[in-house]
Amino acid sequence: MLFFSFFKTLTNQTVTIELKNDIRIRGILKSVDQYLNIKLDDIEVLDLDKYPHLSSVKNMFIRGSVVRYVILPRSEVDVGLLEDATRREAANQAGKAR
Amino acid sequence: MADNEDAGATVAEPLDLVRLSLDEIVFVKLRGDRELKGRLHAYDSHCNLVLGDVEETIYVVEEDENEEEITRTIKKQEEMLFVRGESALTTICNGHRR
Amino acid sequence: MHLSIVHFEYSIGVDPRAWRFLPEAARPAELRSRSPKLLPPPPPNRPPTFAHLTFLPSAKGSMSFFGFDTNLPRDRQGGPAASRGFFENPDPFAEVARASALEDDDAIDFEDTYDGLGDQLDDDQDAFNDDTFGGGGGGTDTGPVGKDFDFFGKTATVADAIGEEQIRYSLQHPQAAPAAGQSAQPAAAPAATATTKRSGYEKYSDPGFIPDLQAKSSVWGISQKKPEPIPTQAQARKMMSLEEVEAQMRNQGYQSSPVPQSISQHMAEPSYMRHHQDITLPDGFPTIPPEVLRAQLERGGPPPGMPHPPPGMPELHAGPPPGIQGMPPHLMMQGNLPPQNLPQGPRHAGPPPNQRPQQIPPPTTRGPNGGLPVITDPQQLVHLTEEQRNAYLVEDAKRAKRNHKIFLLSRGNGLMTPQDKNFITRIQLQQLVAAAGNVADSDPEAVLAEDFYYQVYSQIRGAPRQHPHQPLGHFAQTYLLQTGNRVGGHGNRRAFQSADNHMQRMQQQVQRAVEAAKAKPKNKQLIIEGSLGKISFSNAKAPKPMLNIKRPDSSEGPRPKKLQSDLSLSDRKSILTNIERVYSALMSMEDMERTMPPPPEEGDAEAIQEHMEWRQKVHALNQKLWHSLKVMEPIVPNSTTPHPFIAFLSYPKGKKAIPRIFRHIDQEQRVTILTMIVVHLDSLDVVRLAQPVPGEAQFSVAMREAIDLFSLAVMPSLLGYVNEAPFNIIIGLLGLVIAQTHVQTVARTKVGLGILTMLLSRAEIVKEAGQASERDWQQWVEKFNVLFDTLEPALADIFPGSINSGDDMYVWQFLAAVGIGASPEQQQRLVIAVKDRVMETVAYSKTLPAEMSSQRLGNVNLFMRAIGLDVELLG
Repeated sequence: MLFFSFFKTLTNQTVTIELKNDIRIRGILKSVDQYLNIKLDDIEVLDLDKYPHLSSVKNMFIRGSVVRYVILPRSEVDVGLLEDATRREAANQAGKAR
Repeated sequence: MADNEDAGATVAEPLDLVRLSLDEIVFVKLRGDRELKGRLHAYDSHCNLVLGDVEETIYVVEEDENEEEITRTIKKQEEMLFVRGESALTTICNGHRR
Repeated sequence: MHLSIVHFEYSIGVDPRAWRFLPEAARPAELRSRSPKLLPPPPPNRPPTFAHLTFLPSAKGSMSFFGFDTNLPRDRQGGPAASRGFFENPDPFAEVARASALEDDDAIDFEDTYDGLGDQLDDDQDAFNDDTFGGGGGGTDTGPVGKDFDFFGKTATVADAIGEEQIRYSLQHPQAAPAAGQSAQPAAAPAATATTKRSGYEKYSDPGFIPDLQAKSSVWGISQKKPEPIPTQAQARKMMSLEEVEAQMRNQGYQSSPVPQSISQHMAEPSYMRHHQDITLPDGFPTIPPEVLRAQLERGGPPPGMPHPPPGMPELHAGPPPGIQGMPPHLMMQGNLPPQNLPQGPRHAGPPPNQRPQQIPPPTTRGPNGGLPVITDPQQLVHLTEEQRNAYLVEDAKRAKRNHKIFLLSRGNGLMTPQDKNFITRIQLQQLVAAAGNVADSDPEAVLAEDFYYQVYSQIRGAPRQHPHQPLGHFAQTYLLQTGNRVGGHGNRRAFQSADNHMQRMQQQVQRAVEAAKAKPKNKQLIIEGSLGKISFSNAKAPKPMLNIKRPDSSEGPRPKKLQSDLSLSDRKSILTNIERVYSALMSMEDMERTMPPPPEEGDAEAIQEHMEWRQKVHALNQKLWHSLKVMEPIVPNSTTPHPFIAFLSYPKGKKAIPRIFRHIDQEQRVTILTMIVVHLDSLDVVRLAQPVPGEAQFSVAMREAIDLFSLAVMPSLLGYVNEAPFNIIIGLLGLVIAQTHVQTVARTKVGLGILTMLLSRAEIVKEAGQASERDWQQWVEKFNVLFDTLEPALADIFPGSINSGDDMYVWQFLAAVGIGASPEQQQRLVIAVKDRVMETVAYSKTLPAEMSSQRLGNVNLFMRAIGLDVELLG
């Protein structure tokens, strides 16, 4: 649940999502679920001339599994906290495995 | 520059090795001839990652006019990047600090 | 609300073949036996395992309460009497439809179909609630009625008994002849009514009772068979509607027999029930007068001469016909019903010709559409005028159409039991909760484990907190105060603020020292000191330095430690492993902090015990932390590998850990760490690798980051300790710097100078406060002189790069700290050493904007005032 928890803190921030088919979409992260499916509002497709069919799309639901990257606003990420959260998650996982 | 040779320290699970690299510079090989180098801020058991100050290198094989294959590299920089797990399945290596 | 308990079906383990009988099961045998109009005989071969109890709503409510219907749609379509839950009831909308205009009724809308009965709801009619719920018991027993009715579950508890009854009955009446069943059962009815005391609600008295969840095979479509053509006489009994039960109650009320018993009778004696039912009609419909019913009841059994009850729809209780094509052939063959009448609904599917008409109230007297007589007997049609008949038929066709529509809409009704629905709802809720991360009701620790980042982040960044009650406060503090950890925007701002704070604190300390020194002429220092008397420092805060340092023989001279430029992988790995261990211990300790039991009160042995145990755990964790830090590893002189703790500090996350570590260790451990750092000052990465290289204005990005991080994360912790450290510790530390490190190397770096400044200014403050003994002070002066002599040749080199390269504030701070403690002679040497830089800076600052200019001059002036001068004097 680490990344679900993480992405929840990024709602209403502008992110850029790069899909596995190279499409890059910038928009406001409206919501995310535990599968890291993502809902984007006010989207803007970078390289729109390559994907004209997306020109009229204003918001998107993106299935988590088609995402390659999500480019995040650095100022909204608390890396120290994130690292500790990662350690906790790792410890939890190890605890569950045992 | 990358090296992940196991030098004997007892690491119970592969992900424990990754934990050692938290807040360290790591190399990540991705599907599709992509490499990332950046500081590891988070990971989970699906190999989802968050990297900071990332340099992405994409290797593109092209043919020149003589029909010889040339590998061109494209580099991109991102401040903060979430990498979807199944993209990053290939390898994670500890990079040496500069 | 009036609830009728009529029949309900349990089909656990039922032979799938049984389902083909189900449609029959929808016919109430009693109706056939009592009402002259409907009354098909009881089914000869009812499925033995069916217990029939269903809760149907009052027509007044006009809605399906539970919608129990155990058939799948395809089965329902099979027969006219198929069980269809609520829709088995007489069309509750019929009257309205009749009343409404005859035109378009393609669409069903509320206005068309609302029967208006809701408006007639009369609270007085709640009189039977107690009976229904087994509460008041007709006014004799007024126990409180809970809200946790679980009809299904309660019924389930008697399901076995019901099933047994079914089996017993079917054994007693194998292929029971309808006549036999009809004649026998009604006779037995009064007796049963009078004697049966079971209500079926007995288990309500057990608060812990949990009903068995009995799944229905029908739900999963396993046992479904195509309904076979129904034998003409095989009319199943039907659910008892609310009206029926009410009528029964009323009827029994006339007979002065307790109503609850009749209900219990239906629950406990379902086999009997089928043959003993009363009917009533919905409001606005011809009602059979109670006396008639009673008369019939007393008469017992169906009207004579009725071997085969009419196959037409039982009045009021058959569901809307599924359509003409769905009609069983036997109905088609009846001949006494015109085909277009078939789907009309029960009211018009009349009684057979031989029915006694006197039991039917005159149809024309009732009904909202007074223009048309209510037709209860097909034969009545014959007597109508042509016009009436046509209107009637048109009306009928429309009604059929609408009924069909309702039927289509109601297809899914009753597919699931309430239990099933609850189950699904619970699953959905769980998913929702998981998706929303809203686990308010669960353990806060679990929330933390699953949602740590969000929870803490929300607190730090002021996002609306989901769970304000959670003990996260100090978590937020932990991370809020972690200046070094914060790289992001907010964090950056905070980090810079914190860096400024650190420099400001250093500045303040130096300034305090400068002011104090200026206020007191140097030659009076001893007098002042003497006049204040001696102060002992042999206290717990001044432990002996614990480090076991083997002093190298080649003591003096430049000996910059040549360290292996890169650590071997195994070292690297073990160091990183250590760091992670430290973090694990830290996080455990931070967790422990939250679980600290309240301070025990006097005499509360248990609380004291709890507290002791907690302290032991904390101590164990502290030891684990301390061990992982490797501070106490022996120092090997001239080793090529750095000390493990110094290696720890060379990693960003090692540096970041220091403030958190300092919160969880005691003073002795803190001074040990400080000592360790001072001893290894010139092998710290931020000193060793931060030597200015001639020709290069700046370090690499990584090195600048490392220096900033050290300044942000480590220095404040050290300064915090040094500010409270006793004098002898300061003296000892300065001695270690001189003896153990290459002072000139140290002095050429920001971190090195920072630590020296710390020590020098602290000594000055201690001295000015009169807390230094004469002996200590002499010791200090001795060490200071050595330091000064060592540094003097390098003083010109301690500035970072050229004059315009920016940040040299820390150098002026250091020079000021040296200047205060210096003798007049040393001060003069100091001025000579840095004179050029002073002049350059003053000249340079004149070219700068006012703000920057004053800042630079202020830095210089800090030093100048320390030695009794001022930049103003330089013109």
